[in-house]
Amino acid sequence: MLKPILLVEDNPKDLELTLLALERSQLANEVIVVRDGADALDCLTRQGKFSSWLDGNPAVILLDLKLPKVDGLEVLRTIRQNPSLSSIPVVMLTSSQEETDLVHAYELGVNAYVVKPVSFPDFVAAISKIGVFWAVVNEPPPGSMRLLRDALQ
Amino acid sequence: MISDDVVAQLEANCAREPIQIPGAIQPHGFLIAFAEHDGVVRHVSANISGFLATTPEALIGQSIDVLRIVHGESMRDAASHLLDEGDGPTHAGSVALADSLATQQNFELLLHRRGSLIIAELEPSAAPSQAQFASMYPVVNAFVTRIQEARTVEAICATAAQEVKRLTGYGRVVTYCFDADGHGHVNAEVLDPGYESFLGLRFPASDIPAQARALYISNRIRVIHDIHYEPSPVVPAVDPDTGKPFDMSLCALRSVSPVHLKYMDNMGAHASMSLSIIVEGRLWGLVSCHHLVPRPVSMHTRAACDVLGRMLSLHVEAKEANSDALRRLELRNLMVRMLSAMADRDRLGVGLTRHPQPILDFARAGGAAVVYGVDCDVAGNTPDRDVIMEIARWLFARGERDVFHTESLVQLAPGFASIAAVASGLLAVSISERHPNYVMWFRPEVPQTVHWAGRPEKGADDLGRLTPRKSFALWQEILRERSLPWQRAELEAATEMRATVLSVVLRRAEEMAELALELGRLNKELEAFSYSVSHDLRAPLRHIAGYAELLAEMEGDKLAGRSARYLEHINEAAQFAGLLVDGLLTFSQMGRSALTMREIDVTALVRQVIRELAPDMQGRTIEWVVNDLPNMYGDGSFLHLALRNLLSNAIKYTRTRVQARIEVGSQAGEGEQILFVRDNGVGFDPRYAGKLFGVFQRLHRMEDFEGTGIGLANVRRIVERHGGRVWAESEEGVSATFYIALPDAASAQALTRSET
Repeated sequence: MLKPILLVEDNPKDLELTLLALERSQLANEVIVVRDGADALDCLTRQGKFSSWLDGNPAVILLDLKLPKVDGLEVLRTIRQNPSLSSIPVVMLTSSQEETDLVHAYELGVNAYVVKPVSFPDFVAAISKIGVFWAVVNEPPPGSMRLLRDALQ
Repeated sequence: MISDDVVAQLEANCAREPIQIPGAIQPHGFLIAFAEHDGVVRHVSANISGFLATTPEALIGQSIDVLRIVHGESMRDAASHLLDEGDGPTHAGSVALADSLATQQNFELLLHRRGSLIIAELEPSAAPSQAQFASMYPVVNAFVTRIQEARTVEAICATAAQEVKRLTGYGRVVTYCFDADGHGHVNAEVLDPGYESFLGLRFPASDIPAQARALYISNRIRVIHDIHYEPSPVVPAVDPDTGKPFDMSLCALRSVSPVHLKYMDNMGAHASMSLSIIVEGRLWGLVSCHHLVPRPVSMHTRAACDVLGRMLSLHVEAKEANSDALRRLELRNLMVRMLSAMADRDRLGVGLTRHPQPILDFARAGGAAVVYGVDCDVAGNTPDRDVIMEIARWLFARGERDVFHTESLVQLAPGFASIAAVASGLLAVSISERHPNYVMWFRPEVPQTVHWAGRPEKGADDLGRLTPRKSFALWQEILRERSLPWQRAELEAATEMRATVLSVVLRRAEEMAELALELGRLNKELEAFSYSVSHDLRAPLRHIAGYAELLAEMEGDKLAGRSARYLEHINEAAQFAGLLVDGLLTFSQMGRSALTMREIDVTALVRQVIRELAPDMQGRTIEWVVNDLPNMYGDGSFLHLALRNLLSNAIKYTRTRVQARIEVGSQAGEGEQILFVRDNGVGFDPRYAGKLFGVFQRLHRMEDFEGTGIGLANVRRIVERHGGRVWAESEEGVSATFYIALPDAASAQALTRSET
């Protein structure tokens, strides 16, 4: 069974476009969507409203940089500091090629850093490449498991 | 007489000789000291038996009232009128004593207080005809009138010398003033025939030892009637109660040092009198009287001379204060002009040296310099800049953090001998505690001929070593490597100026700190701004482009031609806006990122950029001419970006040419390396060359040549970050050449140093 993709995105338009892009890449993986950094961490550690979820890590986390409550870099840091989460591939999706963010993300151990292209065809191409590589081509670390899909709001 | 052995021994100790406690008096009068509180006699001079029918032994331990006064006030009553201690002997009138050996002999009584003692000195009164107290009034009156007419200090002194000579009858009366080194310079003289002239001569400071100078301040008049006098001891020499020697500092009869008597003898003077000229509490000069044969001076005459001496002192003081005040006023005016010039400028020294006259006049200097950091601004006649910097370092190493002055720099630092002609005199004001920063004034060498009264150097010959000088004959010395002396008013003004300059420096430093703070704040703000621009502006653009695309996909076939075109424009506009945002962000990063400087192989870099631009050249025929380019010193990735912008521009603007030709070459520059990119493209109107490098500045219509207008702005920013410059030339429609010039490695490193 394919492991899910965890998408952390607060902007509804970006969310819609990203999901559309993932859909077009014809991935079979389920996509779990959370809308802020705090939920992302709760989801990964089965806390709060995610406490009843089954164990297991996603194949890849697509993480927006600017998020409410806990921002993307902070989520990344927490993931890398948690032994049971630290091996999950994390791809940072961001609007900006701002160098300090880029450097910071790599220092924290991001697996890839993608600046979302303005052009929609380019955007679709970028997202499907990421999805195909991390969710299909890449062999995920052991312990990854299928999770229930969260309803789209 | 005193034996030669004693003289030699005392002279060796001359400077240490306790001349205030000689234990003896000159014998033309006698001395009695009694305790003020009980009137008991403590010390008596041995020669009292020559004047009165009594002996020291008979008096010591008795009340002073034992000496019966026939006529006049009792000594204790007279003593009660005395003012504070420290005043010299006061004339308490004439007294007649019952025990007097000579009949009809009156004595002039001088009283003063010293510690717990009242010291009474009595001298036989002169014949009534000689000088009466009443006659002093016209003398003083005439003197005051004449002295007020005198225009110069020298004229005042000459008037005083004439008056003193007339009053005393001495054969030679000279006045001299002391210079900063303590040498006495004779500035007025009145002579009888047969007396050697001392006018214009200089007496070395060593002629008057320091302890004598100190005495001259408290004891304003001193008389030696006859240098061959036999001193009369005062008994007991030591006070049995206190165990201290009898202090005769202020005694009129005090026996003088045998060295001094020998000195007088060498000079040919057998009697002398000297008056102190005291200005602002210090010994300014002396009125010195000599006579070839012994000559007594009566008490009345001495009193008159004392008054003259005091008036002379006051007038000299007033005259000096007057010229001092004028000079101060002048200095103040100059300082105000100088400081206002300085405060107006960004660089301290520029204001000073652009209007050099005030700063030169300020210290009556030949040249001036301001050393501030690596800057050295000069005015007038100065040593070379590197020598001035060396002087600054020398001063700093000496620990000079205030006001420094010398009339002979070479004397202190022989290394500066080569600049003696322009800078023998140096006045320097430190304007930083932590750096060798100084305002300096230079005075040129003024060779001075000094007429010494005999060779001044002690130990120069056998005669000079152990005995006082025997020769008072003119001896000329030419002083070299010396400037005119700095005046007190100038030094004080320099001190005052230092405080003001420091406040200017401080204010400037504060302004700089505020500016740096403000700049830091603005930078932060700009960073935050560009960050949010890149994030928050880019996201909606992406959404516009995304939804426009989706709409076109879903409804494309239903839309009329015009609507489809509108949708396409929305998409294009959003994407172009995205490019602009990206460009802006790059531009702001250009200004913020740190440079990593190293030697760059520019030829290789150009070839690499050409390869990268291959997609832009598809379907084009371009002749590349890449000459051998020199290595440049800079940040590799920034230079890469700059070259990429220039070369992609060249490719873009030659695309209307069937045969494009792009040349990359170099030129030699002074302290810099110049690279140029020349193409045979459409060029630009040279009138707008200055606008080319501005942000979002474009000289072509968008439909002719697309672009964001940020590329050349980036090039300029990169080059300017390197301390270099950019410019462009063109013949419109024919060619365009873009130049970038970067400082070479040596210049770039010098630039970095000066910034830190």
